[in-house]
Amino acid sequence: MARISGQLLLVMGGMMVLSLAVSLYLHDGAAVALAKALGVIVAAGLLLCVVLGRKSTFEMYGRDSFWLTSIVWMLVPAAGALPYFFYGLGEGPTDTLFESVSGFTTTGSSITTLPELLPKGLLLWRSTTQWIGGLGLILFVVALNRRLASGSIQLYDAEFSGTQQRKLHPHIAVSVSRMWHIYTLLTIILIVALKFCGNGTFDSVTIALSTVSTGGFVTHSAGFANANSATFAVLTVFMFLSGVNVALLYNFFTLRWRHLKHSEEFVAYSVIFVVAVAVSVTSFLAENNLLKESVRYSLFHVASTLSTCGFYIDRPPHWSFPVSVLTFLLMFVGAMAGSTGGGLKIRRLMTLVRYLRNYMTRMIHPNVVFSIKIDRKTVPAEYVNKIFAFVFLYICFVTGGGFILTLCGSSIPEALSMAAANMANLGPSPLMDAAGSMPVYASLPIVSKCTLMVLMLAGRLEIFALLALVSPAYSLFKRQ
Amino acid sequence: MKSKSFKAILRYLGRMLMAEGALMLLCLVPAFYFGDGTVVPIAASGAFTLALGAFVALTFKDFRTSDDRRMSYLLVTLIWITLSLFGTLPLLATGATIRFTDAFFEAMSGLTSTGATIFSSVEVLPASILMWRSMSQWFGGFGIILIVVALSPSLGINKYSLYTAEASGADNTGKMTTSTSTTVRRMLTIYVMLTFAFVIALIVSGMQIWDAVNITFTNISSGGFSIYDNSLAALTNPQQYIVAVAMLLSGVNFSLLYFFFTFQWKRIGHKLDQFGFYIGICIVAVLFVASALHFKMGESPMDALRMAIVQSISVMTTTGSLVADTSAWWLPITYLFVMLSFCGGMAGSTSGGLKVMRVIILMRNVGAVLRNRLHPNAVEPVRLNGKPVSPQIITNVMVVFFVFVFTIIMGVLAMMVCGINATEAIGAAVGCITGYGPGLGLSGGFGSYAAFTVPAKWVCSFLMLLGRLECLTVFVLFLRGFWRR
Repeated sequence: MARISGQLLLVMGGMMVLSLAVSLYLHDGAAVALAKALGVIVAAGLLLCVVLGRKSTFEMYGRDSFWLTSIVWMLVPAAGALPYFFYGLGEGPTDTLFESVSGFTTTGSSITTLPELLPKGLLLWRSTTQWIGGLGLILFVVALNRRLASGSIQLYDAEFSGTQQRKLHPHIAVSVSRMWHIYTLLTIILIVALKFCGNGTFDSVTIALSTVSTGGFVTHSAGFANANSATFAVLTVFMFLSGVNVALLYNFFTLRWRHLKHSEEFVAYSVIFVVAVAVSVTSFLAENNLLKESVRYSLFHVASTLSTCGFYIDRPPHWSFPVSVLTFLLMFVGAMAGSTGGGLKIRRLMTLVRYLRNYMTRMIHPNVVFSIKIDRKTVPAEYVNKIFAFVFLYICFVTGGGFILTLCGSSIPEALSMAAANMANLGPSPLMDAAGSMPVYASLPIVSKCTLMVLMLAGRLEIFALLALVSPAYSLFKRQ
Repeated sequence: MKSKSFKAILRYLGRMLMAEGALMLLCLVPAFYFGDGTVVPIAASGAFTLALGAFVALTFKDFRTSDDRRMSYLLVTLIWITLSLFGTLPLLATGATIRFTDAFFEAMSGLTSTGATIFSSVEVLPASILMWRSMSQWFGGFGIILIVVALSPSLGINKYSLYTAEASGADNTGKMTTSTSTTVRRMLTIYVMLTFAFVIALIVSGMQIWDAVNITFTNISSGGFSIYDNSLAALTNPQQYIVAVAMLLSGVNFSLLYFFFTFQWKRIGHKLDQFGFYIGICIVAVLFVASALHFKMGESPMDALRMAIVQSISVMTTTGSLVADTSAWWLPITYLFVMLSFCGGMAGSTSGGLKVMRVIILMRNVGAVLRNRLHPNAVEPVRLNGKPVSPQIITNVMVVFFVFVFTIIMGVLAMMVCGINATEAIGAAVGCITGYGPGLGLSGGFGSYAAFTVPAKWVCSFLMLLGRLECLTVFVLFLRGFWRR
């Protein structure tokens, strides 16, 4: 395990070199911080890999995968925070860790008010963390270690829990590497497309990294207010795509289109998208009466929310009331299962809705037996139970997190909204008090920030993995 | 649905109306005694309700049995709607309010023992109306027990179909005897005895009979209406504690109370999972609220403890009586109250909310799922009182929880659309659906729902109905298959 973690750190270091290079090239003042961080990470990586991990095996049994998940998710965000720490971002280590966790969990909540004042090297690093976190750190691990095969199915399960994933290939490592190919391909296409739309190379790269991973870090405080319409369109399409199941995207790009038609979840995703856009257009129209603008804004807004990317044209306080509410609802829905997005996931909600319908029918006709089918496959009862348990926990986390936030002085809607936005890995919180301004996260007390970090992790790890990882005492005890 | 079923429904509705009419006539007593000039309108509305009920009941008296399961859902829903409709009569006839929306809101709030009020001041109301409000809550609490067990055999349907519909599917273990009519008689005996006991206790503590009756009626039913503008704050400290005990008992499973008061303690012995949890949550809440009141709001330790005890119990049992103006309390306390009222009292009591039983099952199920992930091959069922809970009950609980949350979200949205701000909407939706009553902001504390827009009031009324009938009973009526023959 030490060796795997070490490897991961070394790869991270490799990616940091890019940021360092940019930093050196542009003389932006972050080179020293990045270099220091790089040194620490590489040293730690080597230590773990060579010294501690000498005797590591790649055999993974049951609980080990949870251990690995927990170690990786604690180690990597901490290491990723080093550049911010050495640079002196924010006030103290909590802020830097917040930024890093927000990056790796692809949330996009930021404690920086004016990102354009940050050195370019750091901005690139922020986006890179999101890109690494996009498919999940564990998939990253699996992709790195094909030898992990025996345990990797559990690892896979650790990050994609309870959704009955469609696998691309019987061999887990192969499907994972296919997912990474698609992910990388999308990123490259998006970078090129953004460049074509007339954006600078640096902006294209950072925005692309944040978009494909549904992260949502922006490089400019004005957001996308000044973006041209082509950029808008391209981003909308790619945000929509990044909310789609990666396996489905693979089938799409390898021209197996019939899979798309058979995916009920994709159909539901599209329907929700269209309906939400319609609602949003109506509300925009009521304000400004410009049809074309409204449609464009709505498409962008809804794609960004559903995929839990979190790019917005305007700051939340400027949104109209219906748009805020719509955003609040959509972020609970989230993207498709097996995508880079967050939220409750459409597949789960579909299962629940279908189960509910059957349940009510059974209330009338007690002796009717139903099974729930998704994509023509029966969903076993235990999966339904797991999904219900998941939704219960999700709501507990949001309300519980909200409670701690109110303890630290937030108002109730604000607290709930912040908790939900970070749990869904969206980022900007849609409901705020009238006085709400953009840098809310920066001004929160430390306890609030820590709560939000936990929520981000819980959302990203789909809770169960998180709970399993905070109960190592339990597993230690059981191991005896 | 057969027309025979509808006729049988009408028969039972008629009977319920008769009971309601009789209760209205009872309100003549304070009307005469205090001479508040409402004798004629009260008598008229009481007589009209009674007569109409009798007429309907007699017309359809031959239709009794039907094995139609759908009928029970329709009946239960219609009972609350019809009784609320007629419950508006005294309010409108005496001119307590001139708006039908307000009257319906108040009547629904009474009969669902919610306790949300549209009167910004209740002290100006005539005594008969105050009595009617208290009475409707007591009757609502009575009705919930009645319907839980009593109606089912006379409808000739599966004994538990209504039980699952109305009270809490989770707790089928709480039945006391095999004969339902005996069960219901015992439960109602307990209810009436408790009422008497607390009336006497309050009188002993130095209260007027009038006050004692009203306060007991609204608190033993976990209702929460008050005859004072500042609710329990108008009472002395010992009286507040007595009321707290009444509220605490209103949130306890009635079979448990029956066994306890008939000294059959052996039968309780191993069934205390729910009770323990209920008390446990109360204690934690009291500790938090008391320390918050003391350290954050500068109350003296004794006052803080008293207010914390009384108010936490009031919230937990979804009564909604107020020991102070809670809307001015520290925000996290009110947030905690929202969560507590969502949790609610024990299954099989008059309290609302999700019920402690369900919360336990939900939490244990999470534990089971988690254990299952760590040890995929271990089979460890969710246990309650030491007995495994069947998967059907677990899913039942999950469904109810999910539907509750969904309904609250929809309610909040609906109210926001009707022009209520976010905080108020959250408070009102939770307050109404759980049967707690007071919301947040204007509608919270000693405030009222008077300032709500008309559509928002209707949303609230609907939420109260949904909450009392645990959502699904009502939602099932909207299913297309429901109305098919």
